[in-house]
Parts: sequence; C-alpha cells; structure tokens
Amino acid sequence: MTALTTPNIQLGDYIVIQRQKYTKLQKFGSLDTTATLGKETLELKSLLDHPYGSTFKMCVKETKAGKRGAQRQHTLELCSETELGSTRENLGISSSGADNRDICDNGEAQALKSSDIEQLREACNESSKIIEKLVENSKTFHNRTEYSQEKYLLKKEKKYFEFVQIRQPTIRLMADIFYRQDADKVMGIRVDTLSQIISYSGVCGFGNYLLYESGTNGLLPAAMINAIGADTEGTLVHMHPGNVAQKQALLALKLPFEQQQRCISVNLYSVLREFYQNGTAAVDAVEASPKEEVNEPETDQPDTSTDEQSETTEPSTKKPKLDGETQSNPRTPPRWQLENKRAASLMHAKFDSLVMSAKEHPSSILQALIPLIRPSRPIVIFSTCKELLLETYMELKSTAKVTNLHLTSNWLRMYQILPNRTHPEVNMSGNSGYLLTGYTLQ
Amino acid sequence: MSFLKPKTHIEQGDVVILYLSVNSMHAIEAVPTIVNKKGETIANIFQTSYGSLKVESIIGVEYGSRVELSKGWAYVLQPNPELWTQTLPHRTQIIYTPDISMILHQLEVRPGAVVIESGTGSGSLSHYFLRALKPTGHLHTFDFHEARADQAREEFKRHGLAEFVTVYHRDVCNLGFTSELDGVADAIFLDLPSPDLAVPHAFKALKLSGGRFCSFSPCIEQSQRCIQELTKLGFNEICSMEVLQQENVVKTRTVPVIDLEFLKSPKTSETPTINEDNKANKESKKYLTSSNPQILPGHTGFLTFATLPPNIAK
Repeated sequence: MTALTTPNIQLGDYIVIQRQKYTKLQKFGSLDTTATLGKETLELKSLLDHPYGSTFKMCVKETKAGKRGAQRQHTLELCSETELGSTRENLGISSSGADNRDICDNGEAQALKSSDIEQLREACNESSKIIEKLVENSKTFHNRTEYSQEKYLLKKEKKYFEFVQIRQPTIRLMADIFYRQDADKVMGIRVDTLSQIISYSGVCGFGNYLLYESGTNGLLPAAMINAIGADTEGTLVHMHPGNVAQKQALLALKLPFEQQQRCISVNLYSVLREFYQNGTAAVDAVEASPKEEVNEPETDQPDTSTDEQSETTEPSTKKPKLDGETQSNPRTPPRWQLENKRAASLMHAKFDSLVMSAKEHPSSILQALIPLIRPSRPIVIFSTCKELLLETYMELKSTAKVTNLHLTSNWLRMYQILPNRTHPEVNMSGNSGYLLTGYTLQ
Repeated sequence: MSFLKPKTHIEQGDVVILYLSVNSMHAIEAVPTIVNKKGETIANIFQTSYGSLKVESIIGVEYGSRVELSKGWAYVLQPNPELWTQTLPHRTQIIYTPDISMILHQLEVRPGAVVIESGTGSGSLSHYFLRALKPTGHLHTFDFHEARADQAREEFKRHGLAEFVTVYHRDVCNLGFTSELDGVADAIFLDLPSPDLAVPHAFKALKLSGGRFCSFSPCIEQSQRCIQELTKLGFNEICSMEVLQQENVVKTRTVPVIDLEFLKSPKTSETPTINEDNKANKESKKYLTSSNPQILPGHTGFLTFATLPPNIAK
C-alpha cells in the first residue's frame, strides 16, 4: 500500500463503478463483460490496464427499445478530469429570480416533448449540451431562485451525467454499496456498527481471531482480514454454516496470497466435529461419506445462499484446482479437510477474540465457541434483533464467564453542510442493529 | 508493554486494567514498588472502593483472573484501546469509541498505513490508530502543547508502541506538518479549533496517489469553514455525519397484572372475600426488557470526511 503508483485494472478484478453518487460492485471477468447502470449498459473492455481512479466517458453505441423506455449500450472512453466542470459555469447562467411566487406547476414549463429529449440524447454525447437545451426551452428556469436552479441542474445532471469513475474496492466502498443495495445482503450491519465490530473485537496484525458469520457476502471476514493486514502474523478462522463460504467482498479486495491464506474459512459443523472427535476416526468417517458431511448443514436449515453469491463464490479457481489435485494425487485430502485441520489446531491454541453475526439463535453457537476464547478477550455479538441479544445477555451474566457486558445500538445522522444551507439529511437510517460486547474471564 | 499484542500473563511493568464493575475500572502499572513523596521506595499498594491491592501480587497472574482485594475482589484485564479510553488520565477532552471506530473505518486505516494526527491530546485516538496500523505502518502525531507531547511520547514508550509512532511538539496550523512529511500520508486526522487553517498542510502531506481526510469538530461552523477549504483544494467525496451510541440497559421486570373484570358483576354471597380479591390483584408477569438510560450523550462532534483524488498537482 506504500506503492506510489496506483494499480491498473486487470481482468478478473472486482471493480467499483461510480456515476456521481451511485456506486456499484462489478466483476470484470472478461473483455465482453458489461455492467448495467439503470437503463445504461456499459461495455467494460476499454478499462483494461488503465489505472484505478480513472474517469471514463460513456459514448452511446446503440439504442434499443426496451420495456421501460430506451435501453442504451455505451462504450467507455478514457477522459481527463478537466472535462468535468460545473454545469452552471459551462452554461454561463447569470439571471435568477428572488422567490417562486410566479412559478406555477402547470406542466407547460418545458417546451420540449419527451420524444424530442430522447432524440437529443442520441444526438448529443454530452450531458451539458442536453441540459443547455432543456434550460433554453424551459419557460420558468430564469425565474427560479439560484438555489432552485442549482437543484434543477443537479437533478438533470444526475439523469444525463455521462462520466463514470472506476475505483478499487475497499471495505469502505463495499460496505456502502451492499448496505444501500440491500441491507439484508450484509445481515443489516450498518457502517457505524461494522466499524465498532472491528474496534471492539480488537482485531489487528497480531493474534488469532474467530468469526462466526452466516451470510454477509464476505463483508465481515473481509473487514477482519483487512484489519489483520498484509505481512503480519494475525490469523482469522471464519466459520460459516453453508457448503461454501460467501466470499464476494473477500475476493473483491484482491489480497496478496499470503494474506488470503490467513483467512481460514470452514464449515461450523464439520470443523467442530474435527475439533471434538479430533483424530483419525472422524477423518475416516468424513472420507467415507464426504458428501453427507458437507451437506449436513443444508438439511438442517434453509439454504441462505443467493444466486449472485453462488455465482461469485462458486470458485472458478478452487474447483478445477481440487480436481487437478485429486487427479495427480488421489491421496491428497480435499482442501476443506486441510482447512478444518488448520482451524482445529488454532482452536486448540485458543483465540484472541470472538465475533458473531448469526441468523440462528446466538446462544448455542456462543456456548460452543466461548470455550475456544482465551480469558480477558473481547467478544462481540451482532444482531438486528434486540430480543435475541437480551436473552444472550442474561445467559452470559448468569454463567459469570463474561464481564463488562454492554448492549448498544447507534444513531447515525448525515449532514448537508453548504454555505447558508446547513441541515441534517432529510432521511436517516433507523436501524443500526445491536451489539452485545464483553470480556471473557478465566 | 501490554498494548503491543495479545498476551496471557501479567509481566512487571504492564499496564493492567483493574475491573471492579461496569462503572469502576482503573489502569494500574504492575510494579512492586513506587517512590513516595518523601523519596522513599515503598510497596505499591493501590486503593479501591473494595479495599487495597498489593500490586506485586498480580505479577505473573493470568489476564482475566479474579484477584482478591482487602474488602472484595476484582478482575485483571489486559488493556486495549477501548479499556484505555475509559481509564486513561485525561489531559484534554477525548474522543470515544463510537466516533473513533467511524474515523478508522472512513480513513481506511490498516496495517501499513501512514497516518498523521493533530492534536495528540490525551492519546485516546492515537492508541486506536496504533493498533490498526502496526506493525508495518506509522503514526505521526502533533500537539502544540509541549508537556502533553512529552507525556504522550513517554506513554507510548511504556506501552511498547514507541517504534510505530513519532510525537511532535508543533503548531501545525501555523507551521504545517514539516516538509519531511510532504506526500507521505495515507490519511490525516484533525481535531483542532480551526481545522480550516491546517487543511492546506494536510493537502501537502497526503500522498500523490491520494488519501483520506477527517476533521472532528464540536461546532458546525468549524466544519463549514473546513469544507470550504477542502472544496477549494480539490478534495471530493466530502461528507459530514454524527455518530451517537446508545446504551440499552437490560433488566428483568416483574409487572403486576390487575384484574378488573370482576367489577362488572355485583357481589354475590359466593364472591371471593376481600383477601382473595387482593390475591387476584397480585398476579404478575415477568419480562426481559431493555431501556435507554435517563441521560444519553446527545452530541459529541461532527465528523467531516473527504478524499484527495490521485494525481492532483500540489
């Protein structure tokens, strides 16, 4: 990360596409990959080898009639920041009204018809030209107040903005994208709560950490292994209930191999079996019926995987590699079994903190995992449902194995801070989820 | 040395958190003797509300153990930035875990990061930065108060963190972050009365490949001036927010349920006696509840974040 040059966009990378305030995580899998932003489809092939942070201009290639208006396909052209300017300056708008007393909402303000605008869109490549025409043909624009004009321009700019920036995924950007797209994708872990999970768990470059998580698209393990860092001695054991761990966010970080190796993802059931039955008997049983072993969790509960996740986690690299291994050396145990063994040996040595974000009731999982944590170490349990944590709080309190118990939630408010126009954002998120934290005792 | 990495047993010289209850914790240094006001070396006895502790007795004890006090007991915990923030000697107002967590997240601090902080203050935030960036990163922390800078430097040394941090006594608003730090920082944090004055210096200190910026200010006017300056210099992704954490107090409550139905019908000879009436009234239900405390923190400060995009000519 000390490299002075920003890395270039490579095939196979996950990229963040940003158009104004909208961001999206996309896998740049092949040169034919396209990304969809609303009605716009972008061909990504021209991104290859350009540095992250570059801005590209969307150039209309073809327009198809779709169900909901025109669907446009764009190619992308590298452009310089200087092409981006304030629309207000570009248009040279000078006059504005004092208030809105003369403005009526009679639907006649805009002289252009929607079909005219569609034509304009195809004819002009630049949003500023389209907006210029819209302003020219608006009967009321010059009577609007300066603030109102600004708002109008921003609204139009948002619609016609033709630049996208390509950024490298980070935990910050991904936490934002996932939560905005669908908070359930990350089990409702809001940014402030995520940041506090990292703090309270104490996860850093030293020590061994234990995480149980039942589906955050890899965000939680990614955030933890990110905090553990490259070229450090920390390790993460990531337990999950499914056949394969959700790993999208982990893959998107494109971590160095040695760091990826220190995130050991294992199935909760099979690793606990490995740990308790610790020995050849269990391994034999597993070898005799590997299918049954791995599938066990699925029969116990509904599959939590989504389509997208199975697409992204179904490891294109892992599967063939496994096959290759078994072909060359049929004696080599499968990878998940090796990971189980690595995890079990760390479990015997015990961990320096426990983080849990479970769809299941946390209580039984906690009972199984708390003995694996050293004394005087933090535990952090997340849930969107307070009642589950209330029960867990009482259970922990009665065992006296954990002290300094706190149940907290958060309030997060965004502000618009502009000269003479400072106020809290109109909408705010109402549910941060809850954190139950404490320290283990001897 | 107990801040460097997780450890199992208390060694001489460790800072140890003596945990009495949720509201009562002390950070003590595990040294057998101290020098008193008269210059005599005496046994280190620490006084608590549950009696005294002979500090020598905890050396070699496992962290997380229960230790006896003369009138009760306590737990000994390994310190970390969270516990330290709650027990540290206040030299200034400090920032607490909810704001700090957001700062670390938004500044994308991870091992290897180079971070500049001003002012150092009581070192509450510095300990978090250090945990997040060690062992491969570095913290440059500035304070214009000489004694505070010296105290902080001494503290980092005692905590085993000295090699990851440089403490400067310097007025950054007027003098900047020194030319040696031009273009070295991944992230900059300001907690200053006039953050806008330090923004141009922050701009210079951030890497050419870009970086993240944060300013914490209790008043919105400070944020306003800061944002004007940031905009002028080409920072983007500017956003401001407030994070407040709420405690949920967990309690089991027994709630009486009273019966009013019997009032609808007149008393008959078989009507229960007054005694039995009372019994019916005393029916109750148990609930596991949580509620917010009477007084909560309602404001800490406005956090303003911004990104310096790559390759901006300085």
